[in-house]
Amino acid sequence: MNGTKRVGPRIAMYATLTFLAAIWLYPIGLAIYKSVSVGGWGNYAAVLNHRTFSYWAAVGNSFLLAGASAIVIVLIASLGGYAFSKLQFPGRTAIYYVLLACLAVPVASVVTPLFFTVNNLGLRDSYTGVIVPLVAFNVMIMLMIMKNHFDSLPDELIEAAKLDGSNSFGTFWRILVPLSGSSLANIGVLSFVYAWNEYLLPTLLLTSPERFPVTQAISLLESDRMSQEQISQLYAGLILMTVPSILVYLASQRFLQAGVTAGAVKS
Amino acid sequence: MLRRGSPYFYILPIVVLAGGLIYYCIGFSAYASLTDWNGLTRMDFVGVANYADLIEDPTFWIALRNNLVFMAATIVIQAVLGLLIAVIAKERLPGSNVYKAIFFLPIAMAPAIIATVFKYMLEANYGTLNESLRALGLIGPDAVIQWLGKDLGIWSIILINVFQWMGFSMMTYYAGLMSIPDELYEAGMIDGAGWWRRLVSITIPSLRGTTSVLVILGIVGSLKTFDIVWLTTGGGPGVSTQFLNTFLVQTRADREAGYASAIGVVILVLAFALAMLQIRASNRERSIR
Repeated sequence: MNGTKRVGPRIAMYATLTFLAAIWLYPIGLAIYKSVSVGGWGNYAAVLNHRTFSYWAAVGNSFLLAGASAIVIVLIASLGGYAFSKLQFPGRTAIYYVLLACLAVPVASVVTPLFFTVNNLGLRDSYTGVIVPLVAFNVMIMLMIMKNHFDSLPDELIEAAKLDGSNSFGTFWRILVPLSGSSLANIGVLSFVYAWNEYLLPTLLLTSPERFPVTQAISLLESDRMSQEQISQLYAGLILMTVPSILVYLASQRFLQAGVTAGAVKS
Repeated sequence: MLRRGSPYFYILPIVVLAGGLIYYCIGFSAYASLTDWNGLTRMDFVGVANYADLIEDPTFWIALRNNLVFMAATIVIQAVLGLLIAVIAKERLPGSNVYKAIFFLPIAMAPAIIATVFKYMLEANYGTLNESLRALGLIGPDAVIQWLGKDLGIWSIILINVFQWMGFSMMTYYAGLMSIPDELYEAGMIDGAGWWRRLVSITIPSLRGTTSVLVILGIVGSLKTFDIVWLTTGGGPGVSTQFLNTFLVQTRADREAGYASAIGVVILVLAFALAMLQIRASNRERSIR
């Protein structure tokens, strides 16, 4: 559009962006400022050597839960996406839509039976007991992304592989998976971030502080009547717990942005 | 049937592990909603008594109203801001990628962490927002604005959600903008259409599909909202900022698992019904055009 060559509109556009960016940066800048306002940079050391809260354990737990669920999701969503896109079988469309309907199910709406079931399986307060529901509630959008992706690959690829004597798994593994690197990376990163950010599932299912992921471990830094110094330490802890997210974001920005919008822009 | 190579072999893991677990929980909720249950043992069948109690429970209606206000406000605000920034970013101003990255950043941050930062920031007496406003002279030196109080609480929660998710609307609109053919704009320029006219007559109608996807995701997302309420106001003061999800979790914590299950069933029915309505509306629109 030509309007941008003129100076007036450009200034208006920068002014709008800068005004909004200032609002968006205010909470982040503020958290950093507050983390050192009382007690200085020593707050960071204090949080790392906290009596009841172990930063490295929380980060490690988050990595474990997010990493394990992402691996399982990549496996089962790509297998499923392949079948729903490229294989013929009775009930294909119906089963696909029955699964996609799960996208609308909030975790909170089923916490009671979920807790009961995980408890009865003897999986309460275990990593597995959190990983399985994380997979269940995050996998459907990834299934949709993978199906859309496989839909975009030509059927001729499969015909050619069949003529070469490849069975359906061979076709999937040797022909389609190598063509799906960026989609697999998209759903892997997205699954990881979604699981990393999850709060309700671990809070419902984990009780031992040494297993808490970062979202749940925040509570270990809070108490009823907090001094200004404790609040500063809390901010320091929040920032430290955001650092891994930011690193993952920076390392995978392309995949994350593509992945987040992939579910939305595909028809 | 489940030989290796059978199509069912490929969908078995996702059907059992994910679909099975979720539908089992839904069925279990539907049954438990008809019982008086403490969540672990003793489960007595009581018919629709929980639902009868629910429609008489003022907290339910407060939660429902908050959910609907939140849904409408977040969908509109995120769409307007997201579209505005996407349209500006499309002009390819130097530095616009930096701005895009700033607005997208909160999506990578955990809602639990964002909510906790906002809770302390919005705290009325010593919270930084009121301190900042006092320092700037925008409110009196002793003024106390209850950002998380019973009147403003719901709007603060809306603000937190906009902070977290506006970047998603922006990226989605940006991707949509890229697919509008330049010829449309060239034709508009020849007809003498100004910037505003082109936005209203070309850009927004062309993005109708994107908008409808964002509305569906907004509906579904708002019914999933939990963390940012639970960790800021906790539904209070009183029950003024209760959402359906926080109401359910609170009820369950009070050992009213049958009643909580009934709330869950209402949430599920709402989620499916609203999503279906919006999907049908956008399909009808598409078939007319």
